[in-house]
Amino acid sequence: MKSTLWKNLAGLGVAFGLPWLLLIVVPYLRQANAEPVAYAPADAMPAGAVYPDPANARFGSSDRGAAVYAREGCAYCHTQVVRPTYAGADMWRAGWAGREGEGLARETRPGDYAGEKVALLGYQRIGQDLANVGSRISSREEMHRHLHDPKSFVLHSVMPAYRHLYKEGPNGKPTPTPDAEALVDYLMSRKKDAKLPGDAPAPAPAN
Amino acid sequence: MSLDPQHATADDVRERAAIDRSVRYPVLFFFTSAAAWLFVATLLGFLSAVKLRVPTLWEGCEFITYGRLFPVHMNALLYGWAMQAGLGVMLWLTARLTRSECRNPVTLIAAGNVWNIAVALGVVAVWFGAGRSLPWLDFPGWVAPLLGLSYVLIVVWLFPMFHRARAGEIFVSELFLLGAAVWFPWIYFSANLVIGKGGSATMGAGANAWYMSNLMYFWFAPVALAATYYLIPKIAGRPIHSYVLARIGFWVLAVCAGWTGFQRFAGGPFPAWMPAVGGAAAIFALLAVLVTGWNFRETIKGREKLWEYSPSLRFTMFGALMFVIFAALNAFSSYFGVSKILQFSHFVVGLDTLAVYGFFSMTIFGAIYYIVPRLTGTEWPSGSLIRSHFWLSAYGIATVVVTMLVGGIAQGGAIQQWNLGFGRSVEIGNPWIVGRIVAWLLIAFSNLGFFYQLALMFLGRGRASDGPTLIHKKPGEAASAEAAAGLEPEGAGV
Repeated sequence: MKSTLWKNLAGLGVAFGLPWLLLIVVPYLRQANAEPVAYAPADAMPAGAVYPDPANARFGSSDRGAAVYAREGCAYCHTQVVRPTYAGADMWRAGWAGREGEGLARETRPGDYAGEKVALLGYQRIGQDLANVGSRISSREEMHRHLHDPKSFVLHSVMPAYRHLYKEGPNGKPTPTPDAEALVDYLMSRKKDAKLPGDAPAPAPAN
Repeated sequence: MSLDPQHATADDVRERAAIDRSVRYPVLFFFTSAAAWLFVATLLGFLSAVKLRVPTLWEGCEFITYGRLFPVHMNALLYGWAMQAGLGVMLWLTARLTRSECRNPVTLIAAGNVWNIAVALGVVAVWFGAGRSLPWLDFPGWVAPLLGLSYVLIVVWLFPMFHRARAGEIFVSELFLLGAAVWFPWIYFSANLVIGKGGSATMGAGANAWYMSNLMYFWFAPVALAATYYLIPKIAGRPIHSYVLARIGFWVLAVCAGWTGFQRFAGGPFPAWMPAVGGAAAIFALLAVLVTGWNFRETIKGREKLWEYSPSLRFTMFGALMFVIFAALNAFSSYFGVSKILQFSHFVVGLDTLAVYGFFSMTIFGAIYYIVPRLTGTEWPSGSLIRSHFWLSAYGIATVVVTMLVGGIAQGGAIQQWNLGFGRSVEIGNPWIVGRIVAWLLIAFSNLGFFYQLALMFLGRGRASDGPTLIHKKPGEAASAEAAAGLEPEGAGV
């Protein structure tokens, strides 16, 4: 069966090699070598600004925060994807798609994740989408309170309290550990609504 | 080779016994250590579902949050149980199909130990805070080379067997085994390289989704189908209905399924054609699965009564049915109009559990019930324990699939209602999680009988043979499932 073996092995290789090449290898190389795009004058952005902004996702210790986010399994209940309207109603949910008030609400694009090691797009939506949570929750204190005691925000929240990220402070107040600060850095950097080069301002969603 | 037990010559019997003896220790090693992992994984499945429903239970302890327990459960189930048991089945099937003895059982056991150490390290690492939040790929990056290497060390020994096999037409089970053997390292290393190298954050997530789909279609499915294509003709005592259909089913799956995966992120940050192609490929894969299922059905037609008595046939046929349901739900939920609602809902857990437990694990149980008596020379002690194993597992899997499907529609639908507060979707979805709790409880109970019997067999305490163990029959009451079902042997060997 020697010749049959090689013939079949070659068939198996071709059958699988083609999708492997076209779905994984080529898109990966294209993405990995993508250059930032400069804004057009009509975009009214500061001179020299590019999309994606290299400072994106490099907010404080957000790399360490991404590791904390990953190790606590946050992505099992929270996505970081805003789907275009043909694929879901995400853009109509208040605050999910970005700063609607400034005309900056849109679906997520590959460039929005530039600088991250791996995009934690998520598995399920037991909790809210977090693609733009950095714009929704305005202060670090609020974010800390959300992690330490989610029920103080939403009475029926099913999110566990991440008290192990906090220490008892001198006056009984919870004090964030460096991990908690890093996680908050990461969450506050979740702003995937940067203006796209050459894009007219998105119309505000109808209410 | 004669696939027909009635027509086996004395030489055939002696040859088979020699082959079984040569793979006995590695295969039993894989089965028993896989069963131990299954025990851990089912308990964690139960505990993680409880924690999702009642998050305040032992709140504040980092090791029992849902976010840690669920990945630990899933990875223990996938790599500890499912893949390891699958490797045992692969080894035995290859030896039998190529009619070659295994020449290095010790190397295989050593490589199997490396596999177990890698899984244990990965599971502990995720539990203690090194998880990556990448479904099915949660193990930290340094586990991947270890796991991949031990896989290669195990599977590489199958190739000399294929090579030594005598000339002639390749049986469809061998095609499936050959495919599974080469495809896993390919997808595993590709996904880990893309994720580990960084460079493209979104392609990391895409490779993750692609990996999940391909692990299913290019490893679990071929291994399980190889076993089913081997066992159904053996037990039914007649050849496969159509070899042409079997080949068509194989090649359509091989050509189409590699394109699936990205539909998990329909509307995600990828070029729009990628999820679209994924959805279309899932529909083509369904065609391959339907052809395969039809072929099984036609093979068993007129002899369905065997299902009542033969443990192996019962589990493998159930697995095949679940495969058809899985492929149908997978194709159905790839359609944009449906994925809108189901994509990130409870449904995904139901679908993944259906694939890994309902289809793959159930088929593998069938194979284990067939293989182990041939390795130990004893029979399973109790047919009624096998029967309860089957029914409790079947009810468990039905519970999780139905509740997650209905709950997913309810929950995902509520999220689609953009003007409804998000909290409503949580309130609507939450009660359905009870289905997951009940399902894992049923599955855990069902497996107790399996563990007990496997331990007895392993320790040489199986029933001394006076005929195979059959469901609904006392030992020795019937010489075969055919006799129990009152069917005449057809004697139509291959």
